[in-house]
Amino acid sequence: MTQTVQTDQRLKGRTAHTPHIGPHHGHKWLEEFHHAGAAAFEKIGWPSADDEQWRYINITPITQTSFRPAAGPGSAGRGELAGVSLAGRGFYELVFVDGYFSPELSEIGDLARLIEFQCFHDASGDRTDRIRRYLGHELPAMSNGFAALNTAGFSDGIFLYLPAGVAVQKPIHILWFTTRHARPTVVFPRCLISACSGSQATIIQSFASLESDHPPLTNAATEVICGRDSRLELIKLEREAPHAFHVANEAVHVHAGAKFQSLTFNAGALLVRNNMTVHLAEPFGEATLNGLTISSGNQRVDNHTTLDHAAENCPSHELYKSLLAGNATGVFRGKILVRPDAQKTDSKQTSKTMLLSDDAVMNSQPQLEIYANDVKCTHGSTTGPIDEEQLFYLQSRGVSAARARSLLTYAFAGDVLNRIIHPEVRETLSTLTSECLHQLHIESVES
Amino acid sequence: MALLEVDNLSARVQGRDILKGINLTINPGEVHAIMGPNGSGKSTLASVLAGRDNYEVTGGSVQFNGKDILEMSPDERACEGLFLAFQYPVEIPGVSTSYFLKAAVNAIRKYRGEPELDAMDFLKLIKEKMKLLEMDQSFMNRSINEGFSGGEKKRNEIFQMTVLDPKLCILDETDSGLDIDALKIVSQGVNALRNPTRGILVVTHYQRLLNYIVPDFVHVLRDGRIIKSGDKSLALELEAKGYGWLENAA
Ligand SMILES: Nc1ncnc2c1ncn2[C@@H]1O[C@H](COP(=O)(O)OP(=O)(O)O)[C@@H](O)[C@H]1O
Ligand SMILES: [Mg+2]
Repeated sequence: MTQTVQTDQRLKGRTAHTPHIGPHHGHKWLEEFHHAGAAAFEKIGWPSADDEQWRYINITPITQTSFRPAAGPGSAGRGELAGVSLAGRGFYELVFVDGYFSPELSEIGDLARLIEFQCFHDASGDRTDRIRRYLGHELPAMSNGFAALNTAGFSDGIFLYLPAGVAVQKPIHILWFTTRHARPTVVFPRCLISACSGSQATIIQSFASLESDHPPLTNAATEVICGRDSRLELIKLEREAPHAFHVANEAVHVHAGAKFQSLTFNAGALLVRNNMTVHLAEPFGEATLNGLTISSGNQRVDNHTTLDHAAENCPSHELYKSLLAGNATGVFRGKILVRPDAQKTDSKQTSKTMLLSDDAVMNSQPQLEIYANDVKCTHGSTTGPIDEEQLFYLQSRGVSAARARSLLTYAFAGDVLNRIIHPEVRETLSTLTSECLHQLHIESVES
Repeated sequence: MALLEVDNLSARVQGRDILKGINLTINPGEVHAIMGPNGSGKSTLASVLAGRDNYEVTGGSVQFNGKDILEMSPDERACEGLFLAFQYPVEIPGVSTSYFLKAAVNAIRKYRGEPELDAMDFLKLIKEKMKLLEMDQSFMNRSINEGFSGGEKKRNEIFQMTVLDPKLCILDETDSGLDIDALKIVSQGVNALRNPTRGILVVTHYQRLLNYIVPDFVHVLRDGRIIKSGDKSLALELEAKGYGWLENAA
């Protein structure tokens, strides 16, 4: 069972809000699913500021804005996608515009020969059964108000089904793109991934938006099932326009012997909240959660992770790094729950932040709940400006202060980037990192 | 002209006076040793010469190659030809030794108006120097000092020094943490750098290193002042009698 958040302790939302019900296109199960989400929201409401899990960033800009769901896909062509598309790198690309699948903009190649991928709307037969079996299971609507609203409101969703033993060599990029809207608009991306036993893939979800006068809200939900001995790398790229709001719930179920690795890369939006929950349900499952945040201006990025060790002999590793400039605020809260049966758990959590300005703030906290006795759990957190000793060392060899700073900044980010398993994704994100650092006036480092 | 001319140099750290009027002249080709008990200010002197930030110079001057270097940034001083081998070299995860050293070599060459080295020439240069210091190839791909033993770190310092070809080498306690074999290799590296134009300043607590790097002059630093200078026999005398002997002499 997924760790359910303390629902009863949560105050009901202060702001009246009637959940939007997403379209169901004649699918009764979808209609029911949406309504269950709405009912869940009626019960639990918005997360309250008193809630321990939500008190580090102020979400009232979201709860007090009257967001409307996109009525349909806005107009977007390859021109608009140029900056965020990864099809040019040879990745498979599934594009959703304002929450609606766009076959014209997608680059599917031979993907259909390797795996099944399916929008909820036109699913039928077996595929519907599979979707229904998994959807809402890892991430119940009751998990939190945002999960409930996503469940109620998504316009469509994508289901990726990796058959047993299949290894997808090229990365699969799912691009959630929000167009310009004349009023505050919410989009509910929904993604369901089932990696059957022994399958292997790297999947990227990008979130991007056009700048508009009204800040858009993205309320995303992703559920992942890693079957026995599967290998799944899941990358999240947050690259939305500077005023956007973004809340994402990701829930992952890891079966015996499976290895799950994530990277949560935050470079966009004004306010970002990521909830990542990984449930190590069976022995010898392994989870590696990495994060890289590059923020400036008034950006607020809140990363909450939960590693739920429910079975014995599961290692987990966590490395979240933040580069904060301007008035940026970062939050990292990493919960490690070791249940009584999870003997021989080996869990290591590290949070490191480099402050590039005096006004940037980081709040980093581990949260360990250990109910087994034969376990190894370590955690560590460091926050501070660039190390003066390292700077002096490099300078004392003739390297200029500016160059030394950029070397150290790239090295800081590189520590996370180097862990990306898929080499082309690693390269792609290294380039993206350079672009982000360039915007912070950190000169690039060529090798 | 003297290579280094330190005139009545005083400095403080965190409001405390550490150097209290140092006078020291190093001419091209000379090897000087500064000895002194722990806390006497040896590393402070080395740091002030190299331009570390948190040391406040409260008086005196330092001329290097006829230029006042106290106003220069650490990288400018390095480009002018000053090199400090640290007592405690820092680890810099994520920055490879080869990348960093190439950046350093080319920064210095650029400053001198020399053309930058390409990858091939750079490789040739470092291979030769690595051989001299009996270092493993894999070393260049590792992050700077990351996970190195104390001895490896010191050897890396001397390796960098030979690659960067400075005019003045300052060695801060390079012998500490070295076993006798490593000490010999490191000394060999330093001695190979001895020439009529270069100056070397060896800072050490113990006389041992000076058996291998034989100095022309020995100075004893105590409480921020040079209280005695002499030739290499002074080091032996110190070794035999201990620093307490000078306490009374001073
Ligand atoms: N960065 C610093 N901050 C505070 N005190 C320092 C610092 N560096 C040196 N000192 C003090 O200055 C004195 C001399 O130190 P140091 O130069 O390291 O001596 P030595 O190298 O001869 O052992 C010591 O009392 C030491 O505590
Ligand atoms: Mg010292």
